[in-house]
Amino acid sequence: MAQFVQAVVLGVLIGGIYALMASGLTLIFGVLRIVNIAQGAFLILVATFTWWLWRTTGIDPILSAVITAPLMFGLGWVLYRFVVRRISGQAASMSVLLTFGIALVIEGFLNVVAGNKFRSATPAYFEQSFRVGDILLPKAQVYGFLAAVVVLGGLYLLLTRTWAGRAIRATSQNPSAAALVGIGATATAALAFALGSASAGVGGSILSVLYPFFPASHYDWISRLLGIVVLGGMGSLPGALVGALVLGLAETLTATYGSLQWSTLVFYLVIMAVLLVRPQGLFGARLREDVA
Amino acid sequence: MLTLENVTAGYGGGDVLQGVDLTCAPGTVTCIVGPNGAGKSTVLKVISGLLRCRTGSVSLGETRLDGLDPSRVLALGITQVPQSQALFPGMTVRENVQLGGYLIRRDRKLLAARYAAVCERIPLVASRAGDHAGNLSGGQRRMVEIARCLMLEPKLLLLDEPSLGLDPQSLAGVAGLIRSLNEGGTTMLLVEQNVRLGLGLATHGVVMEGGRVRLTGTAAAVRDNPEMAALYLGGTSAKETQRG
Repeated sequence: MAQFVQAVVLGVLIGGIYALMASGLTLIFGVLRIVNIAQGAFLILVATFTWWLWRTTGIDPILSAVITAPLMFGLGWVLYRFVVRRISGQAASMSVLLTFGIALVIEGFLNVVAGNKFRSATPAYFEQSFRVGDILLPKAQVYGFLAAVVVLGGLYLLLTRTWAGRAIRATSQNPSAAALVGIGATATAALAFALGSASAGVGGSILSVLYPFFPASHYDWISRLLGIVVLGGMGSLPGALVGALVLGLAETLTATYGSLQWSTLVFYLVIMAVLLVRPQGLFGARLREDVA
Repeated sequence: MLTLENVTAGYGGGDVLQGVDLTCAPGTVTCIVGPNGAGKSTVLKVISGLLRCRTGSVSLGETRLDGLDPSRVLALGITQVPQSQALFPGMTVRENVQLGGYLIRRDRKLLAARYAAVCERIPLVASRAGDHAGNLSGGQRRMVEIARCLMLEPKLLLLDEPSLGLDPQSLAGVAGLIRSLNEGGTTMLLVEQNVRLGLGLATHGVVMEGGRVRLTGTAAAVRDNPEMAALYLGGTSAKETQRG
């Protein structure tokens, strides 16, 4: 029983961190209708920067999110205004090509400046755990989870309690009606892209501690993140949260009772099963040409 | 006074509007009628800034509107209720209506006062404030769409097919609201497929066909025009039909 509880708790901790990482992808898709393939590369870029910061200054990798999040917010804003905006209104396939191109540029940049090798930030608490009864909770995952909860909570408050957040939600739900109430499409899209990038700023810092990474790791991460948002429903933040928890639980329960090799594959089997029943994902709106 | 002079506009290659001239005097309700594809809704989109006109001019008093972004047109006091699906379905009725005051969002007192006034005029907004807009009926959605437009206390309200998809009871509610708004001094420009309803609500009528204005005049004159009757009412004027 303790083993099961431990697996579930670990699954929830990892799921919370996945939810943070996927929130940016689904936020950007919701407002811009852009599948940001570069989101995984953003994570690895930030993880590499965090690792470098930790090695050179000793700043705690997870706490360094207070530096990386604003930096990524700025990078996201600049990328939108000067690159992504140019494909505004074009076919979704263009956005995939463009953001894949951005991912490749980031990968190439990291290969040049950091080299093609595995890294992982290992602060003092890296191998320590909290003990609650019979359950062991790795400190790194607990801290990462808490950071994710704080950021997701902040994002929720921003989206529901501020005018900027309402503008993002309104544009995501009905772009033409948003224009009719005076919401500027470009400014809102830039804000959404910047916020989505900032969430990768926090996610990447957490990733640097929890998972070894190298420049091409972004392929693995974008696969997971896309899996989460497709399972939850493209553009749905609650969907991303549930999708991420399913992924986290699928991984830890399979690793506990099956094998480590199967842990990621099981999640994709869950996605296939869900999509057979609900092609729009768990929380997604079904698109029909006759009502679009 | 809203004035459109020789306006041409369209989507892609062709011109939907082919030289439209139109005026709306303050305090009037003008209704544009015409068959599908006549360009009625396109006129509203050009006025609200959703579509740029290619030639001609759109003015409100001395102020030119053509070329302005929708937010600038809104700031001048022109709001639009589009044809359908104009709400944010995942947001509450309160949020939907308050978003109508997006341009005055920094003045919290004014925003609260306007919201209270809208709730008083349209009680549905207060009674369903916490419900998601996606859960409302067609008639209720229409009321909320109009309520949202009232947050800016518009000088000119543009309504695209207010009767579309409504049951008779909802229709009566929307028609009553349009009349009471006009009595309060709001100028309105309607587009309506339901000719009898539209011209019944309006003080002035405009008949469009093929991207041009074919007839204008008082609503009664347009309704009783023999050409109008032949075109849209099966050969008899609305008045005669009602008598029959």
